[in-house]
Amino acid sequence: MSVQSGPQWKARSEMKVLNTDVPRVDGPAKVSGRAKYAHDIRLPGMLHARLLLCPHPAADVELLNVEPAKRIAGVVTAAELADRPDRTIFLGQPLAVVAAETPEAAEDGLRAIEVRYREGGWAVTPEQAAAEDAPRISRRQPNALTERETGNQGRTERALEGADATIDETYVVPVQHHCCLETHGMVVDFDGERARVWPSTQAVTGSRGEVAQALGIPADRVEIVCDYMGGGFGSKFSIGPEGLAACQLATELRRPIHLMLTRTDEFLMGGNRSGGRQRMRAGASLDGKLVALDAEVWRHGGIGRGSNPGQPYIYKAETDSMRIGSVRTNTDANRAMRAPGHPQASFAIESAMDELAYAIGMDPLDFRMRNLEDPVYHRQLNRVADEIGWYDHPNRETPGIPTGGTNVGIGFGVSTWGGGGRRVCVVTVRIDPDGSVTSSAGSQDLGTGVRTYVGSIVAEELGLAVSQVTGRVGHSEYGPANASGGSTTTASLAPAVKDAAHNARVAFSERLAEWLECGPGDVVFANGEVRSGTNERMKLTWSEACSILGSDPIVATGEWQSHLQTSGIHGAQAVKVEVDTETGGLRLVKMVCIQDCGLPLNRMALRSQINGGMIEAIGYGLFEERIIDPWLGVALNANFDDYKLPGSTEMPELVAIIDDDDERQQVIGMAEATIIPGQSAIANAVANACGVRIRSLPLTADKVLMGIQEKA
Amino acid sequence: MLLPATLEEAVTALDKESTEPANEQKTRILAGGQDLLPELKDHLAEPETVVNVKGVAELGTDVRRSGDGFEIGALATIAALARNADVPAVLSEAAASIASPQVRTLATVAGNLCQRPRCWYYRSEHTVCLKKGGDECFAYAGLNKYNAILGGGPSYIVHPSDLAPALVALDAEVVTDRRTIAIGDFFTLPSESDPTRENVLGPDEIIREVAFTVAPGWRSVYVKFKERESFDFALSAVALALRLDGDEIAEARLVLGGVAPTPWRCRSTEELLRGRKIDDALAHEAGEDALGGAEPLEFNGYKIPLTKALIAKALRKLS
Ligand SMILES: Cc1cc2nc3c(=O)[nH]c(=O)nc-3n(C[C@H](O)[C@H](O)[C@H](O)COP(=O)(O)OP(=O)(O)OC[C@H]3O[C@@H](n4cnc5c(N)ncnc54)[C@H](O)[C@@H]3O)c2cc1C
Repeated sequence: MSVQSGPQWKARSEMKVLNTDVPRVDGPAKVSGRAKYAHDIRLPGMLHARLLLCPHPAADVELLNVEPAKRIAGVVTAAELADRPDRTIFLGQPLAVVAAETPEAAEDGLRAIEVRYREGGWAVTPEQAAAEDAPRISRRQPNALTERETGNQGRTERALEGADATIDETYVVPVQHHCCLETHGMVVDFDGERARVWPSTQAVTGSRGEVAQALGIPADRVEIVCDYMGGGFGSKFSIGPEGLAACQLATELRRPIHLMLTRTDEFLMGGNRSGGRQRMRAGASLDGKLVALDAEVWRHGGIGRGSNPGQPYIYKAETDSMRIGSVRTNTDANRAMRAPGHPQASFAIESAMDELAYAIGMDPLDFRMRNLEDPVYHRQLNRVADEIGWYDHPNRETPGIPTGGTNVGIGFGVSTWGGGGRRVCVVTVRIDPDGSVTSSAGSQDLGTGVRTYVGSIVAEELGLAVSQVTGRVGHSEYGPANASGGSTTTASLAPAVKDAAHNARVAFSERLAEWLECGPGDVVFANGEVRSGTNERMKLTWSEACSILGSDPIVATGEWQSHLQTSGIHGAQAVKVEVDTETGGLRLVKMVCIQDCGLPLNRMALRSQINGGMIEAIGYGLFEERIIDPWLGVALNANFDDYKLPGSTEMPELVAIIDDDDERQQVIGMAEATIIPGQSAIANAVANACGVRIRSLPLTADKVLMGIQEKA
Repeated sequence: MLLPATLEEAVTALDKESTEPANEQKTRILAGGQDLLPELKDHLAEPETVVNVKGVAELGTDVRRSGDGFEIGALATIAALARNADVPAVLSEAAASIASPQVRTLATVAGNLCQRPRCWYYRSEHTVCLKKGGDECFAYAGLNKYNAILGGGPSYIVHPSDLAPALVALDAEVVTDRRTIAIGDFFTLPSESDPTRENVLGPDEIIREVAFTVAPGWRSVYVKFKERESFDFALSAVALALRLDGDEIAEARLVLGGVAPTPWRCRSTEELLRGRKIDDALAHEAGEDALGGAEPLEFNGYKIPLTKALIAKALRKLS
C-alpha cells in the first residue's frame, strides 16, 4: 500500500497492536486511586454544595425560605434554583441549593431551609396514572397516550385465529437505575472571566457550550476537563440541574464549587431506564413460523417518554401490528441507558418466543432461527448453544418440572444495534524531535478504553509499541468530539484517529525520504524502526528518525472517514441457571455472549465490554427495581442497601466471544448490544428449568417460589 | 462523643430516662458503628451525646472458652466469630452469613443484637411510622415483601440480626452491666411492650458479654436464605441445634430468623422432633408445624414455603 493513498485499516493478519489484547493504559492509575475523578477535585477555597429535593411526587411550594440555612455555621450561601417551579412535578425535583465550607455544613444548611408544601394529587405508578380520576401530569397530553399504531390489527386478528398455537401474555419491566459509581455533578472554578470545569460527563464538547451559557461567557473561555469519569451509561449527556446550580453558585460567589449528587439524589433525579408493560398476542404454526403478533406496548418513563424500539423487535412475523405509547407518572424522567428501550423490548419478545416454541413443542432455539432472517444470528445462536451445552441438555422441547431439588435450565436471546459514527471529531497527532508521540482527542473515556485506542491506533500506524504513544482525551482543548452515546464513539472517533495517524505518517515520510534515500511512499514504519522499503540497509531507530525533525515537530490532524467505519451488529447470548425448587433461589452457572463488531481494535477491551453487558443484564434480571410506595409517594430503596446490585458471588462463569466470522474491515461501536438479551435469556432459562414462567423482572426468589408452588 | 474508659463511666454518661420512641433517646451507645452511623446520617437517630464504648476496659473483644461453654465479649467482632472454629457451627455460620467482610470486621456482637430494624418504612427519612412513634405500621398494608409472617402486630418488622436466632438456639445469656438476661427474654414483641423497641435493655444499660454452655452431643446448623447471596439480610433463616441419640433426636432447639419481630423459637416443633428420626416426612411435619401460625401479609406469603424448605434443609444437614 502506498502512503499517498487515503487511510486504510491493515489486514488483520498484519496488525501488531490492533486486534490484539491491549491492557488499558489507565488501568494502573484507576486501581491505585491515582486517577482523579470530578469527585476527587479539591481546589483552594472550594465550597461543597448540596441540593434540596422535593420529597413529594407533586406539590405546590407554598413557602421556600432559604435564610435560616445561611445562619448555619459553615454555610456560605443558600439560594433557590434560578428556574425553580412553583409546582413540582416529580419526586425529587430540585428546588434550592446550599454552599458551605464542608459537605456536612451544606447538609445541615439544607435541613434548615424553611419549606412548606401543599401536596397535590399525584400518581407514581402507571396504574394510578391511568386511572379515570388521576390528576393530569402534563398539561400537554393525557397521562396515558397511544402515540403510534403500526400494521393492520384486523389482519393480525385473523392470522391469530388461524394459528396452530397462540399466547396472550403481558410482560412487565421495572424502572432500573444507571447506578454510576460516580454520581452526577461537577466542580466549577470561575473567576468572573474564565472558567475551568470538571464535570462527570459523557460529552466534553457539549458541556463546554452548556457551561458557557450557564455562566454567561463565550465558550472559548470555558475549559472542560474530564480525565476520568465514573460511569454514565447514558445518564450524563447534559450538565443537568446540578450543573446549572453549580454554575449559579460559582457566578454568585466566585469561589470554586463542588456539587456532586448524593447517592439518594442520584436515584431520585439522575435518570433511569424506563419501565414498561407489553401485552403480546402471538401465534405460531406447527412448522415453527411466527404467523402473527399483536403488541400493545406501554413505556413508563416518569415525566419522560420512556423508550422501546417496538415489536416484534428483531424477529420477523408474517403479520404484525402494534400500538405503542407511554404512561406518565410523577417520577424522574427516564434517560438514555445502555441500549435504550432494547432490553425492555427483548424481555417481552424473547419470553413470548419461548412460550410459543414450547406451545408447539419445538426447540426454542430452532423456533428462533426459523423466525430470524439474518443468517448471522443462526451462526451466533449455534455457537452459544454449543458453548452452553444445549445439545446435551434434556429439556429441549419441553421445560422441566420442579423436582424438589435443583433443576437446570438454559435460555437464549439475541440483540441488534447500529454502532455507526458521524463526522464530528478532529484528532491531532504530534511527533516531537525527542521521539515522543501524542494523540489527542477531545472525547471522553467512559471506561470503555477510548484513551487506549486513541494511542494504539497511532502506535499501529507508526510501528511503535502502545507505550510509546500517549493517548490524551477528556479535555475540551483537544478538539471537538461527539458525545459518547449510542455506541457511536468508536465509529466516530477511531476513523479520525486513523486519519490523523495516517497524515502524520505521510508527513513524516516526506521529511525522512531524503535521509533514507527512497521515495516518501517507500518509507516503512515497523518494529520501532523507520527504514527504506527498497534498501534494507537504510534504516533509523525511532529516536534517530525523530531527531531529524530538529525543532520542527510533525503535527497532523485527522477527520472522520466514512469508509473506515460502518454500522449494524448482532449478538446472541445463552444462560445456564440452577433453580433450587425448594426455595426459588437461582444460581447462574454460565453465561455466554457472542458479539460481532467489524474490526476489533482491542480484544481485551471488547471482552470487557461484553462482560460488562452481561453483568448489567444480570442485575436487571435478578435484582434491580426502583420501588416507590404508591400510597405514601415515598422512595423506598433509593440507596445501595435496598436497591440491590449483583455482587461477585452472583457472577457465573462469563464467556465473552468476539465473533471473528465477521470479516468487515471497518470499526463499529458494540458496547450497547451486549446488555440487551441477558435478562431475557435468564427468564427463559428459569422457565426451561422448571416450567415456571416469570413475566415480570426482576426474577427474585419470591416470584420463582410462588410460581413453583402454583405448579405443585 | 464521649470516650469513657470504664463501664461505670459509660453507664453514668448515658441518659437513664427512657423515651418513646426509642430513636429519640438523647444518648446512644456506639460500638462498631455499622448501624448507628447510618442511622445518624439518615437522621433516624439524632442523639445529643454518643457514648463510644470501644475503650471501655470491661467490655471484652474475645471469644473465650470458659468451662463447658463460651463467653463472647460485647466488642468481639462478627469477623472474629465467623473465623472461630471452636464455637458451635450455628454461631460461626450465622456470623459468616452477615453482610460483607468490611462490615464484619467492624461490627460487634452486642451491636448486632441491638441493631435497629431494616424495614424500609422505618429507614425512610420521610415517614413517621409506628417504630418511630407514629400511629401506623406502613408495612402492614404497604409493600411488605420483607416483613413479618409471625408475631407481627402492631409493628410488622422482622428482627434483622443473624446472631440472634443462633444465640437463642444455643440458649445463651446476655450479661449487662447490671443483670443477666436469658436470651429468650431479651427480645420483645411489639404487641407485648413498647413497639419502638426490640429488646428489654434500659436506655442506660450496656451489654458486657454473651455467654452459653455447650453440652456434649449437640450439633447445630444455620441455614440462611438471602435474596442476594453476596451480601444481604435474611429473607428467612433457620437456626437448628439437635442432640442426637443414635439416629433419634433427643432434644431440639429450632429458631427462625427474618420472619418475625424477634428471633422466633418454635417450641411445639421442638417437641414434635423429639424422639423422631430425621427423614423427609419429619422435615415436612416440622415445617407445617413451625409455620402453622403464620399470617402472611399481601406480599410475603412466599416466606411460608421458603421457611419450610429451610427447616427441611437444616434437618437434612444434621442427619
Ligand atoms: C450493608 C450492611 C449489611 C448488613 N447485613 C447484615 C446481615 O446480613 N445480618 C445481620 O445480622 N446484620 C447485618 N448488618 C447489620 C450489622 O451486622 C450491624 O449493624 C452490626 O452488627 C452492628 O454492630 P456495631 O458494633 O457496628 O454496632 P453500632 O452500630 O455501633 O450499634 C448498633 C446498636 O447497638 C447499640 N449497642 C452497641 N453496643 C452495645 C452494647 N454493648 N450494649 C448495648 N447496646 C449496644 C447501639 O447503641 C446501636 O443502637 C448489616 C449492616 C450493613 C451496613
